Amino acid sequence: MASPAFDSDVLIVGSGAAGAAAAWSLSRGGLRVTCLEQGRWIDPSEYAHARPDYELARQTTFAKNPNTRRWPEDYPVHTGGSVIEPLMVNAVGGSTVHWSGHFPRMRPSDFRVRSLDGAADDWPLTYWDLEPFYDLNDANVGVSGLAGDPGNPPRSPRQTPPLAFDAACEAYARGLEKLGWHWWPSDNALISAPFGQGRQPCNACGPCDIGCPIGAMSSAHVTYWPRALAQGVTLVTHARVEQITVDRAGRATGALYYDADGARRHHSAAVVVLAANGVGTPRLLLNSVSAQFPHGLANNAGVVGTNLMFHPVAFVSGVFPQVVNAQRGPIGGLMNCQEFYETDTSRGFVRGFELQLSRNVGPLSTATGALQGELAPWGGGHHAFVQSRYAHTVTITTMLEDLPEAENRVTLDPDLTDDHGIPAPRTAYRLGQNSERMLGFAIERARELLDAAGASEILVDPLVSEAGWHLMGTCRMGADPARSVVDQWGRAHECPNLFVIDGSTFTTSAAVNPTSTIQAIALRCADWLGRNFAEAAA
Amino acid sequence: MTAQVLTAAELALLTAVQDELVPAARSMPAAGALGAARAVDGYLAARPELRRAVLGALRAVDAAAGARPFAALGRNQRLAALRRVEADAPYDFHELVRQTYNAYYTHPQVQAKLGIDRPPQPRGYELPPFDPQRTARVRGMGKLWRDA
Ligand SMILES: Cc1cc2nc3c(=O)[nH]c(=O)nc-3n(C[C@H](O)[C@H](O)[C@H](O)COP(=O)(O)OP(=O)(O)OC[C@H]3O[C@@H](n4cnc5c(N)ncnc54)[C@H](O)[C@@H]3O)c2cc1C
Repeated sequence: MASPAFDSDVLIVGSGAAGAAAAWSLSRGGLRVTCLEQGRWIDPSEYAHARPDYELARQTTFAKNPNTRRWPEDYPVHTGGSVIEPLMVNAVGGSTVHWSGHFPRMRPSDFRVRSLDGAADDWPLTYWDLEPFYDLNDANVGVSGLAGDPGNPPRSPRQTPPLAFDAACEAYARGLEKLGWHWWPSDNALISAPFGQGRQPCNACGPCDIGCPIGAMSSAHVTYWPRALAQGVTLVTHARVEQITVDRAGRATGALYYDADGARRHHSAAVVVLAANGVGTPRLLLNSVSAQFPHGLANNAGVVGTNLMFHPVAFVSGVFPQVVNAQRGPIGGLMNCQEFYETDTSRGFVRGFELQLSRNVGPLSTATGALQGELAPWGGGHHAFVQSRYAHTVTITTMLEDLPEAENRVTLDPDLTDDHGIPAPRTAYRLGQNSERMLGFAIERARELLDAAGASEILVDPLVSEAGWHLMGTCRMGADPARSVVDQWGRAHECPNLFVIDGSTFTTSAAVNPTSTIQAIALRCADWLGRNFAEAAA
Repeated sequence: MTAQVLTAAELALLTAVQDELVPAARSMPAAGALGAARAVDGYLAARPELRRAVLGALRAVDAAAGARPFAALGRNQRLAALRRVEADAPYDFHELVRQTYNAYYTHPQVQAKLGIDRPPQPRGYELPPFDPQRTARVRGMGKLWRDA
């Protein structure tokens, strides 16, 4: 017991991708770790995959937008000032409970954006600092894929082979081979062969985005949580944290939260670790107002909540004359084209993007606008519209690097609250000029690719509004306390026993899905904290 | 069995509207004839937040039909009435369309016509494995990342 005066040595807020990894890491060394999570365990029987109306779950129980889903455990987000809607899951496992599991790593240049390209800021760490933790995380969660991609530094053999290669992949590869562009079967946090306990390999059922009832997805509630609990971590569900408390010296002392019965409680800890995601963490800090921190905890420099980044996304879908049945098989980024990843200023923008092959959706989602962003026409043309697209379409997701901008931010809404009366977050987000130019260019490249692949028609949703899957940047890492909230170990510049380890720490966004990097950062920060606990807690 | 939210008249009107939104064509049944109105009634019971828009759209269709009931209008008049409501109250109308699609495409009979013989789980699907030989050209491209 390192700090008997406290309820726990370390209190973690949030049980998602980052919180789960940190709970596992910190509890290995015998620290007493408690995690407060506002959500609950999702029982596999709740998933809709075995019902004919499974696609309805995208609009109801397993909608990715909390404002649509409205579980009692969700909090509302005011998104009026945002062209992209933040998406998340509030449950044990966090947003990895229903996600796509696309698991690429950032590249070395992603950590050196200012030095290399004169934009934004460099991270206070390098790819090489993070590499061992990427490897550790992959080994812990189970990844499918293939080592040897010339687009990325060499990496250890993947835990399971690449996912299936069907007609949709054939079409995509055909286009890329014709154009001579880079592509690679992507890493996925989705096992294609036996791995781990109580998990089945992917059986290509399709709708990963409404959860995985067989444990094939390497989601935090099936990877880290069973191991963390076995190591003695206390996970308190239905525990909604209202604020982080501080003492007179401005050190964190624990958290005030509402328990499952609605009672307001305090949990004290020597060290507090925030892992409530890129919206939930700044919300919590901004709501933790004290004499020492009148603008919110760790926010005397005014950086908390600023620099919100998503990855702006266009869906470019190719309709093929032949059946490709892309509604079967895992939905996420199965193959990556990183031909346009590194900066080439002749394109009119800095940084780059990748073109991800996504599989497709069933007839209901086709009719309700998953491809083209609007409902299929009603009346005489309806059947032809749906039937020419359903089972005939392959979608390319353009994943763009989003540069940090101070005006894009999370604040507290003055009126909206959650069920406990805690102020809800408000997001303000618009596309910067660089992103706008890049998006236009990326859409044209995706068209070129689908054309080369033999698509007979191309559908474009030029800026997908329900695409805020990746919540980043709102408590950014950096060496300069005037421009960042935490240091390379996730330690708050203004509060030495407060750590932030989730997606909000991203200095820049890179052009890849963030979660392998979020978990690598969480493991690296937790490793440092575990080794330096006495100093951090002092 | 009586409906949970809709009156008998609303149910009949919704059925007639749905037959225009998703009409019968070749082997595909029309949505109204398939019983999609009852399914939508169930959605309205389960999700009260949908009621304002869907009931509003139905009232607007009724009004747009004029003196005669919507179901008694000729085909062209019915379509004209629906187009008018779509132009005047797009949000409500599109919610009604969405819920009709929801009912239609989750119906096992429609799914069977589209070649879907079972839900995704528990059997999933067999797909061919990836052949690493396919990466031969790309491997030959050499290092594409910038060291930093
Ligand atoms: C539909 C969808 C698809 C996605 N697909 C991919 C993908 O293919 N690849 C990829 O890399 N990423 C994907 N993501 C993103 C990925 O899920 C997130 O990057 C990742 O889960 C973020 O980890 P985190 O730990 O920062 O936060 P989360 O996983 O969101 O966890 C935060 C947790 O904190 C809890 N919390 C928040 N506030 C409080 C509070 N006040 N009190 C108590 N608990 C609180 C929440 O309930 C939640 O459980 C997807 C996301 C969605 C929604």
